[in-house]
Parts: sequence; structure tokens; C-alpha cells
Amino acid sequence: MKLLLVEDEEALRQTLVEALRENGYLVEVAVSFEQAYEKIKLYQYDCVLIDLTLPDGDGLDLVRTLKSDGSAAGVLILTARDGLDDRVQGLDLGADDYLTKPFHLSELNARLRALLRRRQFNGHHHIVFRDLLVWPDLSEAHVRGEPLNLTRKEYDLLLYFLANPGRVLTKEAVAEHLCGDAVDTADSFDFIYTHMKNLRRKLQEKGADEYIQTLYGVGYKLLKE
Amino acid sequence: MKLLTATTRYYLLLTAGLFALASALLYVGFGWALRNEVEELLYNRQLHIQNLVASGLPLPAAAFTDNLEYSQQPLPLGFSDTLLLDTVEREMVPYRQLTFRLQPARAVSAPQWLTLRKSLVETEDVLAVVLGVMVGVLALLLLGVVGLNRWLAGRIWSPFQRTLAALRAYDLQRHQPLNLPTPAIEEFAALNQALNSLSERLVLDYESLRQFTENAAHETQTPLAIIQAKLEQLLQAPTLMQDEGTANLVGETLRATLRLSRLHQSLTLLTRLENHQFVPTQAVPLQLEEVLRERAAMLEPLLAARQVTLTMHTEPPLPLRTMHPGLADSLLQNLLHNAIRHNYPGGQVEVFLQAKSLAISNTGPAPTGDPARFFERFQKHNLASDSPGLGLSIAQHICRYYGFKIQYAFTEVDGRHTLRVQFA
Repeated sequence: MKLLLVEDEEALRQTLVEALRENGYLVEVAVSFEQAYEKIKLYQYDCVLIDLTLPDGDGLDLVRTLKSDGSAAGVLILTARDGLDDRVQGLDLGADDYLTKPFHLSELNARLRALLRRRQFNGHHHIVFRDLLVWPDLSEAHVRGEPLNLTRKEYDLLLYFLANPGRVLTKEAVAEHLCGDAVDTADSFDFIYTHMKNLRRKLQEKGADEYIQTLYGVGYKLLKE
Repeated sequence: MKLLTATTRYYLLLTAGLFALASALLYVGFGWALRNEVEELLYNRQLHIQNLVASGLPLPAAAFTDNLEYSQQPLPLGFSDTLLLDTVEREMVPYRQLTFRLQPARAVSAPQWLTLRKSLVETEDVLAVVLGVMVGVLALLLLGVVGLNRWLAGRIWSPFQRTLAALRAYDLQRHQPLNLPTPAIEEFAALNQALNSLSERLVLDYESLRQFTENAAHETQTPLAIIQAKLEQLLQAPTLMQDEGTANLVGETLRATLRLSRLHQSLTLLTRLENHQFVPTQAVPLQLEEVLRERAAMLEPLLAARQVTLTMHTEPPLPLRTMHPGLADSLLQNLLHNAIRHNYPGGQVEVFLQAKSLAISNTGPAPTGDPARFFERFQKHNLASDSPGLGLSIAQHICRYYGFKIQYAFTEVDGRHTLRVQFA
């Protein structure tokens, strides 16, 4: 999977590249509008991650260019601009998804995974993880051939973990993924407690034991082995 | 009272007084002058008669007996007034008379007293006519002057009226300078200029505030995003898995960063609401019931964790409300979250949505502070909570933005807190 990250802020760019590479993506970067424009004109990407506020141009123009070129690349907008106003415009232009800074890296992984899945596999995609077999577009999950009976939220939660295998996920990030801006840092644990408990119980019942590790006071981790 | 009315009123009062005084003076003056005239006439006649008599000529025959009267008896000398019957008009008529002693040329004859009379009727008529004309002219003059004054004042004050109209129509939310013209009258020109620079200043201030808010929103989020991303990467470090203490530290720092970023977003939202920085075109007709159900569904896990039951009561028909979707979300989110947060475990939240109002009522411990201050920023009902206490303030600002009324009430009987939003 080849990605283009358009981000002018060096410190953020580094971390994003690092996190994305860890997840197995091939990442190229563009530090300015001009550079990004050149790259999207010359090369093909599976997904372009665009920061809207660039020193030499508006990221929305890159979205326009990609769309008018009929590019197959998915577009994920990353922005510090106020989400209340720009979200609509970005999505109207044809962006696939939108993340407001600051965001959780794990959330970026999950969104990117979902975006690529939607665009690349037309519903014929499955995820294999240890004993798990998951068909995201059918909302089905199996443990060693046995179906897991999950609620919508539990399934969502499972996909979120699968998008971030081996990563420590803070409970705030998990809560925000499940319930969006409804979550306050003060009560994020309450938001996920029941879902986490049920997902773990259901996995355990099917013999997928010890998949999710709790890191006390910090969060959770989906163990690779 | 209008400025013009006020000046006209004083003007009228003064001129009416002067007018009355002038009329009285005119009356007295004319009367005196005419009387004088009559007296002079009578006196001339006296001299004439005395001359006639002195030169031995007989007294002229009186044309009208009224006008001349002889008497052998002494009479008081000099001028006096009298009333005589006018036989034609059959009414008493005022006369001025002059009595003098006539010494005939020949000493044989006894002296006589002669009274000359002159009717004052004509002079009174003259007086009336003159006075009438004068008073009429004065009155016309007065009216003319008042009218002229009003017209002139209206004309001269018209730039002021225009300025006043422009000020009254000035929309503070449009953030445009006034651009008043410079009228010919210096004072008004100065006034307009002062107002122009004032409005320009306002626009500039607003603009810098808007820029500050925007910059604060963009520029602060970027370093926050960096901190958050770096901390998240730090959490992935394999060595941390063995070091629970450090992992916890990183976790706490990450949490504080999140809080800071949330706080920042909330404050930016408040400022934008206060400055009306939302584009009205982004408002869409919304069914609040839908938004409410959506938000309640999002809060479902929290309700479950706190064992709070939420019941919705809707009373159709519910009209669509034109609102910015983000603001509608935020309003309902904050109200619902507030009702769940300040509740007992196992408590209740009841939502009543009607065409004209929304009430969210919840069980919970009696309020400790002044309820009027609940809407203020950073008011925490529960000091232990690390929520910043901006929720109700945001709700109030959104209500104010849309002209809704929001009220808090606590009923002691069943220990319920109710927040009622009255739609405009």
C-alpha cells in the first residue's frame, strides 16, 4: 500500500511516517503544496493524506486536482481547521474521510484501513489475525471457523483493534473511536467498559483467549501472539 | 420630545409673550396718541373761538349742539371725558371735552364757560382698525418666523437625522464600517467623522479578534497534535511494557494533552459563538428529535455504566429548526451529558421535547452553589470531576445565538434538576 503524506509540520510528519511505516505502509512525503502537486501528477497512490493548511497553498485544491484527474487514490484530510465548518466542504469535494487535529494515531490507522478496504477490495476483503477471520463488509467474524456473535459496537471495537495490532491504545482513543465527541476525558472509561468486557468475554468463549491485554491506567493492546 | 418640537416650543412661548406685550403697548400707545390728537384739535378750536370773541365777532353757530355748550355758571376747566347719547345710534358715545372761560371783548357781558366736545367714536374705530391690522401683521410675522424656523431647522438638522438613522440601522454583526458622508455643517461633519472612525475601530477590533481566534484554533492545534502523536508513539516503546510507572506517566500526560485540546476547542467554540462567527448559510433545517435520539444513542454506554435510565417524551407535531448541525449536536450533547454526569447511579434522565420547548430533567444531588452561576464558565458542581465545566456555558451560548431561552430549576420535592430550553 503506497501512501502520500502531505504535511508541512516536520515534527508531526516524522511521527506520522513512523507510525504508518510500522503498520506496513509504503509512505512518501510532500512538505509543501508544490511538492504534493508534482507528486500526485506524476505518481499513483493508494491514499493521499492531506493537511489543509499548507504554507504555499490550500490543501483543498489538492483534493480538487485529484478528483478532476480522476485519480483512484483515496483522500483523507487532516486539518487543524475547525471541524465544524470545513468538514462539509472537504467531503463535498470528494474526500473520503476527515480527521481534525489533534487526532489519535490509532484512529488514523483505523480510518485509513477502512478507507482502503472500501476503495480497494469492493467488499471481498477479509482480515486474518491469529485464529480470527473477519469479513468487514459482511460484518462477520469467526474464531477457528466458529462465528462470533457481536453487537455493532463490539464489532466496531474489534475492527479498531485489528487496525492497530500490537499497538498500545489509550482508553480515550478507544472511547473516542466508539462514541466520537460525546466522550469526555473524564468519563472515557465508562464509555467503553461494557463493550470491552463483552468483547473479551465473547472472544474468550470461542477460545480466543488473552487477545486483548489491559495496561492498567493506560489502555489496551491487541497481542500479536 | 423631538429637538425641533423643543426649540419651537420655547420659541413660541417667547414670541407669544412678546406678541401680547407688543399688542398691549400698541393699544395703549395708539389710544394715547389719538386722544392727544383730539385734545389738540379741541385746544385749537378754543384758541380760534377765543380769537373770534376777542376780535368782537360773534360765536360761530354750532353745527351740532353737542359739540359746543355755553354756560353762565362756572364749570371745572380743562379736559375731561364724558358720555353723551347719540340720538341716531341710540347709544351712549364717549366724548372728550375741553372747558374754558371765555372773556368777551366788551367787559359788559358776563364771562361765559364754554365746553367744546369731540366724539371719540371715530378715534376708537381708527384704533380698532390700526390695532387689528397691526396685530394681524404681527401674528402673520410670528407664524412666518416659526414656520421658517421649523423648515430651516429641519433642513439644517437633516444630516444629523441621517446620521441618527444610519446609527440606528447599524448592524453590529455585519462588521462593516459606517461610511457616513461629510455634510457641509462643520459640527455634523465632525460628528460623522468621529462615528466613522469609531465604527472602523470596531471593525478592526472584531477583525483582530476573529484572526486571533482563528490563529489560536489553527496554530495551537498543530503543536498539540505533535505532542499527542509523539506521546502515542512513546507509548509503543517496548521498554515501557516492563515499566508500568513510566507507562502510566506517559498515559497521564497524554490524557492531560487531550483535556487541553478539548478545553481549547470548547473555548474557541464559545468565542466564535460570542462573535457570531458562524456562516448562516451552513444552517440547515433539522428535526431535533432525530439529533436527540442520535446523541442519546452515542451516550448509551455512559448511561449503562452509570445505570442511568433515559426516557424520551415527544409531543408531535415537531417543527423543523434551522440550525448549524454542529451547534445543534453540541447543544443537545452538552445538555444530555450534563444530565447524566450530575446524576446518582441508578438515577433517571427524562427528556420532554415539544414544538416550543425542550426540557431535560434528571435526578441528582441538590445543587450546592448559586444556580444562577451554573451557566458561567468553569463552574464545577463536583470539584473532583476533571471535566472543565464548560458544557452548560456552551449550551447557554448556543441558545443565546439562536435566541432561545434556557433556564435551570431544581424541585426539592422529587430532587430533580430541570434545564428548559424555550425555542424562539
